[in-house]
Amino acid sequence: MSLGIMPIAVADAEGYRDWVAAPELPAGCLDLGSRGEPNLELLMELKPDLITGAYGFGLDPTPFMRIAALHMVPFYDGTEAPYRQAENESLKLGQKLGREVEAERLIQQTAATIAEARRRLALQAKHPLAVVSMFDDRHVRVYGKGSLLQDVLDLLDITNAWTGPTDSWGFAMMGIEELVAIGEARVVSLDPIPPHVKIRIEQSSLWANLPCVKAGNVVTIPPAWPFGGLASAARFASFLGQV
Amino acid sequence: MQSTAGSHPGSDGRVWLLAALVGIPALLAASLTFAGLLRLLPVDMWWQALGSADFTDPRQLLFRHAFLPRVAVSVLAGAALGLAGVLLQQVLRNPLAEPTTIGTNAGASVALTIATLYAPWMLEQGREWVALAGGALTTLVVFALARGRSFSPIAIIIGGLVVSLTCSSASSMLMAANREYSAELFIWQSGSLVQNGDAVLFKLAPWLVLSGIASFLLIRPLRLLDLSDESAASLGTRPIVTRLAGMAVAVALSALVVAAVGVISFVALAAPALARLAGARTLRQRMVWAPFAGAALLWLTDRLVQILPFASEIPAGTATAFLGAPLLFLLLPKMRTTPEGDGAVPPAVRRRNGWAWLLPAFIATTVLLCVVLVLGRGADGWYWASTTELANLLPLRAPRVVVALSAGVMLALAGTLMQRMTGNPMAAPEVLGISGGASLGALLLFVMTSDFNRPAMLAAGLVGAMASLALISPTGNRQALAPDRLLLAGVAVATMASAFSAVVLAGGDPRLDTLIAWLSGSTYTATVADAAIAAVTAILLLAIVPLTARWLEILPLGEATTRALGLGLDRARVILLVLVSVPTAVATLVIGPLSFVGLMAPHMARMLGFQRALPQLFASALLGGLILVSADWAGRMLIFPWQIPAGLLAALVGGPYFMVLMWKRRQ
Repeated sequence: MSLGIMPIAVADAEGYRDWVAAPELPAGCLDLGSRGEPNLELLMELKPDLITGAYGFGLDPTPFMRIAALHMVPFYDGTEAPYRQAENESLKLGQKLGREVEAERLIQQTAATIAEARRRLALQAKHPLAVVSMFDDRHVRVYGKGSLLQDVLDLLDITNAWTGPTDSWGFAMMGIEELVAIGEARVVSLDPIPPHVKIRIEQSSLWANLPCVKAGNVVTIPPAWPFGGLASAARFASFLGQV
Repeated sequence: MQSTAGSHPGSDGRVWLLAALVGIPALLAASLTFAGLLRLLPVDMWWQALGSADFTDPRQLLFRHAFLPRVAVSVLAGAALGLAGVLLQQVLRNPLAEPTTIGTNAGASVALTIATLYAPWMLEQGREWVALAGGALTTLVVFALARGRSFSPIAIIIGGLVVSLTCSSASSMLMAANREYSAELFIWQSGSLVQNGDAVLFKLAPWLVLSGIASFLLIRPLRLLDLSDESAASLGTRPIVTRLAGMAVAVALSALVVAAVGVISFVALAAPALARLAGARTLRQRMVWAPFAGAALLWLTDRLVQILPFASEIPAGTATAFLGAPLLFLLLPKMRTTPEGDGAVPPAVRRRNGWAWLLPAFIATTVLLCVVLVLGRGADGWYWASTTELANLLPLRAPRVVVALSAGVMLALAGTLMQRMTGNPMAAPEVLGISGGASLGALLLFVMTSDFNRPAMLAAGLVGAMASLALISPTGNRQALAPDRLLLAGVAVATMASAFSAVVLAGGDPRLDTLIAWLSGSTYTATVADAAIAAVTAILLLAIVPLTARWLEILPLGEATTRALGLGLDRARVILLVLVSVPTAVATLVIGPLSFVGLMAPHMARMLGFQRALPQLFASALLGGLILVSADWAGRMLIFPWQIPAGLLAALVGGPYFMVLMWKRRQ
């Protein structure tokens, strides 16, 4: 979509609207079912020109190739830093679609958005910052080395307060008590947080007394997909710039 | 009366043994805790951190709001489970009763899953009431199912298993359809004792005290349950009231634990067993010692998982499930089985030779197959595929249909064989842990290798199925009441398999989606090769099985008759077990471990009047195929373009069907 082409259908459209949010899906875009099992019969009926997907989810590509040309995007395969890989993959997809100009423009725009955010942030005092997602009131998912968000932080010249080990997707799941390690650093929490989790985490005495929470350093930003491409990276950077 | 029941020779010496058996794990846990605390904070600061902590010091914060609450919650939850176990075992006269085996935990879990996904506002003030409602409901169902059979241990365990399987298939279906929203549930389900403050502790403690008082008030009437119901009634108590009261306290305790920390299995089983092993004979002794034992066990488990050298911590709930399943095996020989005498006698239905029915049934199947291949939903609603469309659609639809059909046939045949072989109408590959063994084998492969292909999976599943058969058959054969023990051993294997899949699911592997789809019995990944393997196995089985017809006629008559008729019992059993395990492994791999088809199809065949071995075999094979083909098709159509795995849909229908069956059989 960032290249100006509207998909006729995506898997888990509702999930996309909640967790990725932008760029917005066009009105007529159909839902293909779950991401683990996109509906092949519907896909066949729609006769798409191109199917794009990501590696690493264990889906067998053969049936998709029978329906239409398949373009697989290798994210998080460990060959390159995610941001760099997102740039390269955008170019490749642009070539495939005959939209090289748009792909170049997307890369420049993303870089510009990040640079703009960096200018704004340069005016503030520099503090380390940790990025987390919250799913329940006892654990957080913290993003670090090897994640797209880490690359964006590097471009913004912000130190990630979380330097601990991460998995191959660039995050670590841990009990909230581990946040003690980051001291009074700022914490950026990605929406959506289920309302009942929000209420219950406010009741937690450990959470309330964490140095970063006590210092009032926790902010929430709208959804930005941590496993996304350039559009997600730009979105995340501009939210950080407004914090 | 109290004194005669309360004292027995040598009780003084036994108290020491008791104290030692409970004390050793507690001491171990305490020293591990002490070591952990020392690493966190110097001793001279402990008192200050407890009373007036200075939270600008992160060490004191962790000490006061993470470390201590976690220890306290593990001790409290363990004690609660220990007490719940004693109560349930007394009320149900069943040493295997505990919140996991009688369906309480599954009910609480599914209620919380539904609430999290569809009514999260209900959870804002805590999960207790939702968990309590769900747990109470499922326990009542199991209670009602077992009541007519005077709470026979088998009836309770089987009822509990079926209710649990139905609930867990409902949960996994909901979670598969709401993948991104289920992260909270995945974490919670695995039973992690991580605490975020002292809120849970202070919520749990008063409830525990209340339940403790309530259960000690119940001691006298509860003890009368040791007598027969008639004698208890003659002493002026109403056993049913006592039972319900005891159950209520036990369910409240376990639901509170589930709400607080998730499912912690087997502590409620192990703690009373440990207390009994150490010599706590009377109810009062067990009620005192089992909570201590439970507290010590869970405390120790939770300490141990924290020092294990794994990248991410294994949740305590999963660890206890692993340690507990073997315990079930150890307890089996000790179990007092109530002879039921209803196992071998099939209900009298009008008999039908049945061959005349097979032709129309065969035609009906063919028609159905044509319909599911041609009728479908598209972007503009329902449509019958034209010939050209069909040419495109068939490569997509045919493997799924063939796989579903063959799996249904195989499971139905395996189920019929097992029911006739054991003379037990509740026998089925899903219930006997053979499906569980097959999935355990495939899961192990998934964890150990990065290359995870179908043939390897098939081989691993086969080895798993064989191993679980080998594991359960000696337990089953040695005893006089072989079939019942076979069932219980099967339950243990099934529980181990589900515990292991919980570990794998909590591990967060990126290939998880495929695994979830497979565990829930989806035909989505069915390839032509899968279809060929499944079809060939099914056809071979159909060809071989008629040769065993004579055995199948004789075996249900009982061992004595079998021997009298000159049948080599052991040889026949071995051959039949192989005939059961091979197709079960193949079917499990393509349709998932829980579908209940192997259980349902033979019964439906018999209820339709196919009583003799050969007609029953063929009728149930047809029915099994029909059930799974319809489930697969319905799963693809109901919430189009989303899809419900065939195995799950069949289980959602099959579980309640089985409950109705149990309910009817109670008269």
